[in-house]
Amino acid sequence: MNDFDPSRRRFLGHVGLAGLGVLGAGSLVGCASSASSPSGSGNSAITLQSNLSSPQAKVAMEKIIENFNKQGKGAASLNTVASETFRTQLPTYLTSANPPDLYTWYAGSVANDYASKNLLLDVSDVWQGMADYPESLRTLSTDAAGKKVFVPMNNYWWGFFYRKSNFAKWGVQEPKNWAEFVTLCQTLQSKGVPPIGIGLGDTPWVASAWFDYLNIRINGAPFHRELLAGKQRFDDPKVKAVFTKWREVLPYFDPKGKAYPFQEATTALLAGKTGMFLIGTFFADAAPKDALGDLDFFRFPIIDPAVPLAEEAPTDGFFASAKSANPAGTKALLTYLSSVEAQEAYVAASAGIVLPANPKAKASDSPLVAKGKAMLESAQELTQFFNRDSSDALQPTADTALTKFIDKPDQIDAILREWQAGAEKVFKG
Amino acid sequence: MTSVDERVLAAQPPAPANTRPRRRRGKPLSPLLVAFVLVPFAVESIWVFWPALQGFWFSLTRWDGLEPPTYIGFDNYAELAGDATFRGALINTVLWLVLFGGLSVIGGFGMALILQRERRGVGFYRAALFTPVVFSLVVTALVWRVFYQPDGVADELLRAVGLEHLIRPWLADPETALYAVILPALWRQIGYVMVLYLAGLKAIDPALHEAAKMDGANNWQRLRNVTIPQLKGVNAVVLSVIVIDSLRSFDIVWSLTKGGPYHSSELLSTYMYSTAFQSLRLGYASAIAVVIFVLALAVILGYLVRAFREDA
Repeated sequence: MNDFDPSRRRFLGHVGLAGLGVLGAGSLVGCASSASSPSGSGNSAITLQSNLSSPQAKVAMEKIIENFNKQGKGAASLNTVASETFRTQLPTYLTSANPPDLYTWYAGSVANDYASKNLLLDVSDVWQGMADYPESLRTLSTDAAGKKVFVPMNNYWWGFFYRKSNFAKWGVQEPKNWAEFVTLCQTLQSKGVPPIGIGLGDTPWVASAWFDYLNIRINGAPFHRELLAGKQRFDDPKVKAVFTKWREVLPYFDPKGKAYPFQEATTALLAGKTGMFLIGTFFADAAPKDALGDLDFFRFPIIDPAVPLAEEAPTDGFFASAKSANPAGTKALLTYLSSVEAQEAYVAASAGIVLPANPKAKASDSPLVAKGKAMLESAQELTQFFNRDSSDALQPTADTALTKFIDKPDQIDAILREWQAGAEKVFKG
Repeated sequence: MTSVDERVLAAQPPAPANTRPRRRRGKPLSPLLVAFVLVPFAVESIWVFWPALQGFWFSLTRWDGLEPPTYIGFDNYAELAGDATFRGALINTVLWLVLFGGLSVIGGFGMALILQRERRGVGFYRAALFTPVVFSLVVTALVWRVFYQPDGVADELLRAVGLEHLIRPWLADPETALYAVILPALWRQIGYVMVLYLAGLKAIDPALHEAAKMDGANNWQRLRNVTIPQLKGVNAVVLSVIVIDSLRSFDIVWSLTKGGPYHSSELLSTYMYSTAFQSLRLGYASAIAVVIFVLALAVILGYLVRAFREDA
């Protein structure tokens, strides 16, 4: 259940084609149109608008909805939409007169933003039955006014993934801190292997993981969140310190990584053409099943032991429209979706390596998943991801700044100035 | 392709001058005729004119697509004036117009000249050159991406001829990205322009060439003094097609580079799209759309004015 499925991203191109007339001007209006007539009845069927369009995830969701309908607590239907269409249409759904009731989407600042505009249903009742959910998820699902607006389904983690057999062949081990990490890079380089894989070709947002991690390791998660919320400046010396650290390992990046997307970077890693790859577990969707047993990961090395440990754990789940025609039914479905049964069904049927949000639900049974789960549990703070902690609107500014830095690290001062200017425009609207 | 149809209509021979206009005073217009005018007009108003006007209104607002737009006057345009990315996109669009337009005219005309004479197998070559036009540009982009990828066909070719020092990440290098994207666009457009010119060449009266030959004109002289002047009508069609295709170029750039790396292959169209649907600054994106509209209008009006002046 990840947001960055390549085929969905590529879908942008198609959407663009459809939306772009010769004169351009008309296409923007598409967003303003609102849908159909209002319906009155209080117990109408609930629509779940889902962006989980990969085949396994779609089947998993269909199964869950079918099970819910069997229980007789309401009638629900699933409407699966390609992720990129979903993303661009979501504001239209939420502001239309007769919106779908329930949506798959992200927790944190994304949900908070919609909640602040009174577009999301208060689901605090649903949370009364979710007492055993961890505090971190509870906080993540609460908006600025203290209402619960989100019900988490699962999360996943980011880490440096590598092949156990390759590390054994090269005679290297997982590093514990930054110094060991740099040494590891040097060793791999001396063996003729580009140490750090990356895939920025079609997926420049992958670079944001480096920025997020360096920032939460050096300046800590609270500063990171404030920066992404526009309360700190990108041209602050604290941000520059992130790039100074990054420059120490820049020579060890795979030079070809600029040209190809993360899926090909995954292939390069599995083929032993790169040493390791900082990526989220969704990359495993692009890995052949027989390679999964050989995969392992280590956490992003600790740079300053005094900074509380934080990890990236993007959380996916559901929020509901404030204008739902059937709030009681919507909450009943949300309650079901937060249950052990529904979440285990999803984990079992979906392809990616995900951790169910319900602490009683069992994750899939592999050492890799156990290790990931333990890493997230040992973290004092969880962050989401650049665009989830900030907004989709800020992501392009990061893509520009970070790919430029990787290309031209000398120009860092100018890059940070431009980034700050770009970010101000986004916050201004 | 409406412009082609318009040109074809415009190229119809004028009605003979001696027929007097018929008087229709007192005679009611046929309701069918009125319907033929009013129904399309109503449809156009809803789907073309009104959204275009609305687009102009949005360009005077700040709007995130969620809350109602706020009127801010010409602030968006003032911001455009100082926006370096916009300036880059504008320069790239002009560069695109010149390179993509110029080269596809030269290439298409050249191919048409080579392939105009009926020889055995010439149909195969014509079809082969036209094939890229059949594929959608998004598919074209996928094929070319494989061509450009690290250690892909482009790199292998360079290596085979001993030019490996030229190898670079073609689409990821800001120096080469725009040109690497123009190439597949050209690959497609040349076939299309060739077909237009082939039709034009076929329409030239062979007697003109024969007469020129009798007068002792060589190949080059016949090309300059007979063929090219006779192609005036086709040139106009090609010009309008090229200008419109350049200004609306989006798909190939978006599929190959999304305007990156760091805006180096950004066109006005891609910048408008990313501003609207990624940055969710719909007011600002509308301002860019208005600029594209004005540019297209300026080029088309400029052309129409010239065409009228020449006809007069």
